[in-house]
Amino acid sequence: MEIRKLLFVTKFEQLWFDALQSLLDLRKTGLNHVVFLNVIEREKVALRRGTGYRKEEEVKLREMANIRFIDWAENLFEQGMEVGAYITVGDLVHQVLSACEKEKVDLIVIGRPRRGKLEQFYAGSDVMEIIRRSKTPVLVYKYLHPDASQAEKPFQRPLLALDWSPASLRAMDCLKGLKGILSQVHVMHVIDEKNLKSLSGMTVQKARKEARKRLEEVCETFESEGIQAIPHVYAGKPAVEIEKAARESQCTLIVMGTSAQVSWKERLSGNIPEALGVKSIFPTLLIPPEDR
Amino acid sequence: MSKKVLVVDDDPDVITFNVSVLEENGYEAVTAQNGEEGLKKIKEENPDLVILDVLMPKQSGIRLYRALKTDKTLENTHVIILSGIAKKTFLRSQKALTEFGGEEVPEPEIYLEKPVEAEELAQAVKRVIG
Repeated sequence: MEIRKLLFVTKFEQLWFDALQSLLDLRKTGLNHVVFLNVIEREKVALRRGTGYRKEEEVKLREMANIRFIDWAENLFEQGMEVGAYITVGDLVHQVLSACEKEKVDLIVIGRPRRGKLEQFYAGSDVMEIIRRSKTPVLVYKYLHPDASQAEKPFQRPLLALDWSPASLRAMDCLKGLKGILSQVHVMHVIDEKNLKSLSGMTVQKARKEARKRLEEVCETFESEGIQAIPHVYAGKPAVEIEKAARESQCTLIVMGTSAQVSWKERLSGNIPEALGVKSIFPTLLIPPEDR
Repeated sequence: MSKKVLVVDDDPDVITFNVSVLEENGYEAVTAQNGEEGLKKIKEENPDLVILDVLMPKQSGIRLYRALKTDKTLENTHVIILSGIAKKTFLRSQKALTEFGGEEVPEPEIYLEKPVEAEELAQAVKRVIG
């Protein structure tokens, strides 16, 4: 899986050009085309009693976005990259998926909503919906150094969380395709605490040993590609343990597969990859299954 | 017979403005909304002139210009660039693409930065195709 073209979704509130610049390492592995997307929320220009549709507001917001995009595009054009831009009014999920389809991008980059609780509930569910419906990998970008004290390098030290599903194995292949920019990969598996109940100490140890063996095999495949890889087995609640592992190993990115189907409970609260995508402090790269 | 001008731009307001300027000055106008569609229309319509934007979806004006100028059958098509992207950036971008192993391409005949007055556009078109 190669990342040649990415869709950079921004509202100019939580994702700026420096985030995109931190991803330009991907040029070493084939990235040569960036498409910008700014979606103007409908409620900002919607019909209001006494004023009607706020066309002037739409024009103002479009022009403000256009000015930012021209500035960003000039920077990328001068590096010999190809650049495109969309400024649209409407529903974020629909506009992102539509631009993704039109442009046939290899990666969607989107920011994590950083708002009040109620707004986050809705905006967070937009990001979850994109993760859930996208056939394209989604990178939910977060700044590891929001004060800009250090340059962001998200692909430097990723944590690959494996549950052995087809999507997580696809995530592993995706990382191998990025070998030119990774300095080290941490590979982990979480033994879910739900499966530990009613097991003897011996059986738990056996499960750990088996997981460790599989992870070592995965690490060998990374090492054969020239990528240093370190295995970790954790036990507990998967989302919590993945976050913990990313911290303990000072990782710069969490990478995982997303499941093909979601239960009704997950539809409401989000499954593990969706929850990490929205809530984790780490940038999160989520790889959908091939058959979505 | 009036001369044919293809306007390639993703902004519907710019297309409307350009088309009205062209028609008022006796030219026939055809339009495309991105570089990919633009190249297709150039091959189908064989226009006398292309007025080309730079920052567009699907394919930028930089790549479309390069595709035109490196195609032996299309290289003589006249082009005016009309964009918010600075001329300096356009030229640097072409230089970078040449350095990455591409063919060298000539500078565009006329480069106009948006926004442009109707008179300025009409004069530029007249200067290039009469």
